[in-house]
Amino acid sequence: MMRLPKFRYLGAKSLKEALQALGSVGPEGRAVAGGTDLLPNMKRRQQQPKLLVGLRQVPELQSLSGESGGSLGLGACLTLSEIAGNAALQDDYAALSLAARAVATPALRNMGTLGGNLCLDTRCNYYCQDQEWREALGYCMKKDGSICWVAPSSPRCWAVSSCDTAPAAIALGARVRLASASGRREIDLSDLYLDDGIRYLSLEPGELVEGILLPPAQGWVSTYRKIRRRGSIDFPILSVAAALKLDGGVVEKARIVFGAVGSRPKQAKEAAAFLGGERLTAESIEEAARLAAKAARPLDNTDGGLSWRKRIAQATVVRALEEILRG
Amino acid sequence: MSIGVNVPRKDGQSKVNGQAAYVDDLSFDGMLYGVTLRSQIPHGKIRAIQFDPKFDWSSVVVVDHSDIPGQNIVTLIQRDQPFLAAQLIRHVNEPILLIAATSRKKAMEARTRIEIIVDELPSVTNLEKAATGVRLYGEDNLFKEIHIEKGDLPRGFAEADYIVERTYKTGLQEQMYIEPQGVIAVPGKDRISIYGSLQCPHYVVKALLPLLSFSHPDQVQVIQMVTGGGFGGKEEYPNLLAGHAALLAMKSECPVKMVYDRAEDILATTKRHPSIIRHKTGLKSDGTLTALAIEIDFDGGAYATLSEVVLSRGCIHAAGPYRCENIDIVGRAWATNNPPNGAFRGFGAPQTCFALERQIDLVAKTLGIDPLEVRRRNAMEPGDSTATGQVLTESVATHKCLEQAVKASDYIRKRSEYSKLLPKARIRRGIGLSLFFHGSGFTGDGENRIRGRAGLQVTPDGFIEILTSSTDIGQGTETIFAQMVAEELGIPVDLCRNAGVDTNRVPDSGPTVASRTCMIVGDLVRSAAAQLREDLIKWLAELENCNAEQITLVGGCFLLSGQRVASFQDLAKRACSEGGPASASKTYVQPEGLEWDEKTYQGQAYPVFSWGCDVAEVEIDLDTYEISVTRFTAAQDVGKAIHPVMVMGQIEGGSLQAIGYATMEEVLQKNGWIENHRMTNCLIPTALDAPAFETHIIEEPFSGGPFGAKGVGELPTDGGAPAVAAAIDHATGQRFDEIPVTPEKIELALNP
Ligand SMILES: Cc1cc2nc3c(=O)[nH]c(=O)nc-3n(C[C@H](O)[C@H](O)[C@H](O)COP(=O)(O)OP(=O)(O)OC[C@H]3O[C@@H](n4cnc5c(N)ncnc54)[C@H](O)[C@@H]3O)c2cc1C
Repeated sequence: MMRLPKFRYLGAKSLKEALQALGSVGPEGRAVAGGTDLLPNMKRRQQQPKLLVGLRQVPELQSLSGESGGSLGLGACLTLSEIAGNAALQDDYAALSLAARAVATPALRNMGTLGGNLCLDTRCNYYCQDQEWREALGYCMKKDGSICWVAPSSPRCWAVSSCDTAPAAIALGARVRLASASGRREIDLSDLYLDDGIRYLSLEPGELVEGILLPPAQGWVSTYRKIRRRGSIDFPILSVAAALKLDGGVVEKARIVFGAVGSRPKQAKEAAAFLGGERLTAESIEEAARLAAKAARPLDNTDGGLSWRKRIAQATVVRALEEILRG
Repeated sequence: MSIGVNVPRKDGQSKVNGQAAYVDDLSFDGMLYGVTLRSQIPHGKIRAIQFDPKFDWSSVVVVDHSDIPGQNIVTLIQRDQPFLAAQLIRHVNEPILLIAATSRKKAMEARTRIEIIVDELPSVTNLEKAATGVRLYGEDNLFKEIHIEKGDLPRGFAEADYIVERTYKTGLQEQMYIEPQGVIAVPGKDRISIYGSLQCPHYVVKALLPLLSFSHPDQVQVIQMVTGGGFGGKEEYPNLLAGHAALLAMKSECPVKMVYDRAEDILATTKRHPSIIRHKTGLKSDGTLTALAIEIDFDGGAYATLSEVVLSRGCIHAAGPYRCENIDIVGRAWATNNPPNGAFRGFGAPQTCFALERQIDLVAKTLGIDPLEVRRRNAMEPGDSTATGQVLTESVATHKCLEQAVKASDYIRKRSEYSKLLPKARIRRGIGLSLFFHGSGFTGDGENRIRGRAGLQVTPDGFIEILTSSTDIGQGTETIFAQMVAEELGIPVDLCRNAGVDTNRVPDSGPTVASRTCMIVGDLVRSAAAQLREDLIKWLAELENCNAEQITLVGGCFLLSGQRVASFQDLAKRACSEGGPASASKTYVQPEGLEWDEKTYQGQAYPVFSWGCDVAEVEIDLDTYEISVTRFTAAQDVGKAIHPVMVMGQIEGGSLQAIGYATMEEVLQKNGWIENHRMTNCLIPTALDAPAFETHIIEEPFSGGPFGAKGVGELPTDGGAPAVAAAIDHATGQRFDEIPVTPEKIELALNP
């Protein structure tokens, strides 16, 4: 029976209160939103914060609002159900809407938040195990150990970024707003992610995701495809977010992003560059997908046989682009 | 009318509103929590057990094999399994020590302070090496070997125009009932009470008597709590768990609760036997089957548990519902160092049915005819005989099921339409079917050995209490028994209720297994009701000074020459308070002429069979290799559907389990270790993986069943997997002879 370790809890009532608490407690503290990732991890002793700062009652993190120049701001504590159910998002930012809807199960989407999803811990077959299992193996470098069981000679951790919304939001060109006790900053969402299974976020200590900002949707068409074993519950085995700015059948600008193939969402930049200026046809789709698949080099450390996972990347990009072509 | 009507489930309301009390909802003053210390190797000797001297051992209770007052043997079929390993460890996660403390946390903490020092022995964890590896059981590592012979096999092959051979494999399957195993043991003076989530309360009584050195059955009281599913997984395993809790309770003199979490449940409890099945079939060019040679190997795991009877049912069903004069079936259940396998809905038949149905498809392919045609030509009819020589006399619905499923699914048109789609489409469709049967009740004279009993008791408020030990584990036993009594007495279902299952109070009506509850126990209940009606009428006749023939019981009222004299409830109350007939009971009597030879496996294997045909449709994405079962049409014959909605529930639920078995349920085992012991990686289908079901209930009544009813519990798990595999073949143009068929296997097959 897995039980939570002891911790203190502070239900923050304002962003300021949350930031101050996290700023003063240091590495022992951690934000909790829906808790659907963090609490199971704590039960497995993958994370053992002494103070949890609850964000669900922070009004600043709940907003969903149009901003200057046609951008859309989404607060970090919007639930995935709220995002999936939002009609405007379904129309204008289909990739994000589909990605949110593809997370876990209805109950988990009612609890799980956008911010929590973006900050989802990385996953690996050697890490996502209960404590006894990891102890029997001698732990791994991500937690309590020193070796990477996926690549034993590797100096780094290869745990995989498996969140659904990040690839979608990156494909849509999202920026992310970060806040800490000492101030605010805004960066490209893609820069929130680092290619390291342990330090997978570029957040500074005490820093929170306040929300994301989606650029104007005019002219953009997007979609999200997720491969998983079952119709529900499961994390992606591979996912593809694609967003194209189209002008009469010609691609003006493209972004293609893979999820679940590495420690961070992987942008297929070569493919995106190729598509720029191309007419979207069966042939250009095929070529773009071929180029894109080069960016997807999964390791054998999550669910799904490696050969299968490798082989489906290209086809999944084709499917995504075809979907956009069909409109 | 109460039969064939969808009355509200007796257990429905309390389950929906949360009042239903499961074992973990129950607690007792001073109750301790028990945990199990298990082995970490597949085979070895215990050299020493070391207790950390820094731990305060007086704060916990520890039980090992030497604390057992009676015999360290789980009483079942063979006497090979200990409650606690004494010297020899025979599988990973075998129980060695038990610890109880005032909290689960404390007990778990103590467990980490104990070290088992072992000397490892060579082990066998691979079924294919079971015969050649280390000696584990008897002379030859065989728990059981079964041979069924019919006709003249060499002649059958000599008459054949074609001979086809193939090997089929099926994997482990976890029952994944929603509520894990759990019991509470409450000790008394020279007695013990067990509250548990279980299927077979009297099995527990029989297992605990020798363990605790008790002599009288009343010393062990077993009470079934509301049970969140069993699927066979709570048939025999609770014997072991109840024994553990009882040992801790006896030693500590406190009530002890033991409830497994999901991980422990997956790691330690029994599963469906993996199988390797070899078929060699002789056929004529017109499709007639001339010879069926079938060789079946099951991995029984480290202890015999129920393997021999699982094998028996598997063998008897191995030649399926097909006419064939020359049959030879050899079945073997092997001992290995894997955790023991045991009962799971279908009980051996899903494995042998998968192999046979795939083989029949191969026959069709060999002849270049549609799989439907082969089945039409060979499906049994009344007058035909099964592999054991049982001549079918009544309630045979092969053709009815087949034609109904084919028509309802539009099989013929889709089969040719999807074949045409083959060359171009990236998402391909396929459709496949299976034909199968399942024997209702215990094998052979098994019912006669059990001699199940059931009773009725009138309560002081004029209700009828139904007394059986048949457990409702979600399948609806309580509801259908009430319906049967209500029908027989002509009273509202609401007047009938179940007494609950408490072995100190209810008679032993046998275990809740083998598709026997509705047909066998149901008929005992029904005939007890008939008895009670007769007795009440006689009594009323005495009171009214008239002839019993003048009295009828209609619509809940007794009528004397057509005039109402008393309501049923009023007379029942009177009978209860004035010493009238206030109870009735019935014991199973074997029908005349039932012949079964346990040695030669010849004779009437089952009183009757239920029949079914499944048609599965799939879509396979040839680029991502994703499998989706889109539609599932089942036509299954149950004799009479006492409660049609629940019958459909049985058919759809069992089919979904079979679909999971075919496509995703894979318990990964390596060196005797189960590697995926969590629900995140030990998958079962979700609601979104369920296809659109179209379920047709066929009713071909059986004269020996209550209102014509036969069993439906296991039948639906038999046919789904081969139908899905056939559909995947059809969609991909590849053959899949091993389940589960995962995207990985399709990827491999399409990219050799
Ligand atoms: C059975 C199951 C299936 C799942 N399936 C999927 C799936 O298919 N796809 C998927 O993507 N996820 C899945 N999840 C994971 C999880 O449910 C979701 O990712 C969810 O969106 C997490 O959000 P949360 O609010 O619950 O995060 P929390 O658990 O509250 O937090 C997660 C992490 O983010 C940090 N955090 C939270 N909010 C902020 C913030 N504003 N700023 C900085 N850090 C923050 C926390 O400190 C923590 O480290 C699954 C989980 C379970 C249990």
